[in-house]
Amino acid sequence: MTKNTRSDETVALHSYMQDRQTLFCYSGPMNEELLTTMSNPVKHQISDKETQEALSRRVFGVFIEQAQNIIRYSHHKTKSSGDSIGTIAISVIEDGFLIEAVNVIAPEKRVSLENTLSELSTKDQEELRALYKQRLRDGPPDDSVGAGLGFIDMARRVSRFEFDFKNTEEGDLFIYRGWVT
Amino acid sequence: MIFEATQRTPLVEIESDRCLVRGECYPENISEWADPVMQALDEGLNQSEGAFTVDVELYYFNSSSAKFLFDFFDFLEGASEGGRKITINWRYRSDDDTMQEAGEDFEEDLSHCFYNLVVI
Repeated sequence: MTKNTRSDETVALHSYMQDRQTLFCYSGPMNEELLTTMSNPVKHQISDKETQEALSRRVFGVFIEQAQNIIRYSHHKTKSSGDSIGTIAISVIEDGFLIEAVNVIAPEKRVSLENTLSELSTKDQEELRALYKQRLRDGPPDDSVGAGLGFIDMARRVSRFEFDFKNTEEGDLFIYRGWVT
Repeated sequence: MIFEATQRTPLVEIESDRCLVRGECYPENISEWADPVMQALDEGLNQSEGAFTVDVELYYFNSSSAKFLFDFFDFLEGASEGGRKITINWRYRSDDDTMQEAGEDFEEDLSHCFYNLVVI
């Protein structure tokens, strides 16, 4: 047997994922085709017998919206295919699931994203529902690729969410954490 | 006209007197999927002048598909305003608050179509 001290790193990765009960994690280039492929295992993982169907559907909804946010807005693209790079993970927590995501954003988008999410985080369910309806009728804001509804949809499905920004060598990271309970 | 369900798109059946949409809706590219559906709906409606029933039974749709549904209902509302008798049945599972709320919200913009929220 070859002695490989680097195997410790692999064990550490395994133990880290096991300890925090991360049942799904993808980090790398993403596109819609890959999301199609990932959807089934994700759905399977979050729909065990003990989990209420309504809860799994909410987790799935947040996962899809945030994966599509990465695909549409990640500022870090592969050179070959132009696919968006990002990380998305789902972990089990005591009373539900935690959805985490990280991607590089365009520096000029930070302020508007921060404003949008800060505003959403102050709203209750009824206000979010009203805002969703209004945005559906009015159409997307100018700086949105999608219908501008994604983050509102996510805010309606989570019990709470947090976001952060960090300057790194890779670029300006956007960090999202959403709890579905 | 039948659009078979895929992993990310619902079954759509359109005939001269009815339309059924059933499944999950989060297509890779919403307009690529929705444009032919809207065209088929237009053609289906134009095949006759009698009553037209639309059953929508969705278990999940993403935010891009919400816009499609809004346009879909808007189109039906327009036809109804023009004199066509159109009934929409929004079908949802009893434990699915998300789909219940969505059904209630779409109803708000419809005044000419008959609209029923149906628990399944």
